[in-house]
Amino acid sequence: MNPMLNHKLVEVTADTLEKLAFIFTFPAEEAPVIDEQSQEIVRVDFSGPFGGGMELSLPSSALGELAVNMLGAEEGEDLSPEQQRDALKELINVVCGNLLPILAGHAEEFNLRPPYLACSGSQAWNDPAAVGYLILENGVCRVRMRLDRSPEQCLPGLGPTDGPLSN
Amino acid sequence: MAVNILIVDDSGVMRSMIQKSVQMSGLQIGEIHQAANGREGLDALDQHWIDLVITDINMPVMTGEEMIGQMHERPDLKTIPTIVVSTEGSQTRIERLKRKGLKFIHKPFTPEKIRDTVKDVLGSEVFNEPNA
Repeated sequence: MNPMLNHKLVEVTADTLEKLAFIFTFPAEEAPVIDEQSQEIVRVDFSGPFGGGMELSLPSSALGELAVNMLGAEEGEDLSPEQQRDALKELINVVCGNLLPILAGHAEEFNLRPPYLACSGSQAWNDPAAVGYLILENGVCRVRMRLDRSPEQCLPGLGPTDGPLSN
Repeated sequence: MAVNILIVDDSGVMRSMIQKSVQMSGLQIGEIHQAANGREGLDALDQHWIDLVITDINMPVMTGEEMIGQMHERPDLKTIPTIVVSTEGSQTRIERLKRKGLKFIHKPFTPEKIRDTVKDVLGSEVFNEPNA
């Protein structure tokens, strides 16, 4: 995995969580242990100059806060599971939409497919191009990216020792 | 004058966020209609008088760009002010939309950005005094 890709993935996810849902996070230095059974997973696929997908996994217990904050609902107000999952889908949609132009440049056009809820264990995600972890108040957010080709083929300017990609 | 608004986005949460932002903006609102994709958006435009369309781009069934294309082919719809609210980061696509006279708001947005863009499109006269 490419460290700069990991860095950008974490940075954009943290920024989106903060701006969209007022959820503040810290990047994890090392991969934390995650109880997969207690996580809700959402994925989005994209096509364009290169294809691939993104996956975001949040503790189920964080979905309520995510949806309440995004909707500006009253504290303690119960939102339906459908609204909570819809909030998670919109979160990854915004993360992916903001990350791709940072990686590929603002002239490139990508098409994002509708986000969908997923189960863990898909083979396609066994060897992601990038992965990052964010520590939340009530658990861990894992975000992963897979590419149809190697990161070096998709993003020729991406080197392991490069500085941050231009924004 | 009260403004009738159509919000088109496949995310119910995002439609609610946009609706709440518009309601907070001081805009004099008549009816707010919602649609989950471009096809539903065109159906809503056929059924209701709409003064302002706020739409996403990436949606299933029919994208926002396709919906806008069809609106522009119809004399009764092509002059409706339209704002695109999207994660779209491609300047190529954004410029293409702007050339059609559309305004663009990038997600994530602030309520102020929604208010200022609506004001830019419709003018201050459709806003209540304190926010005008």
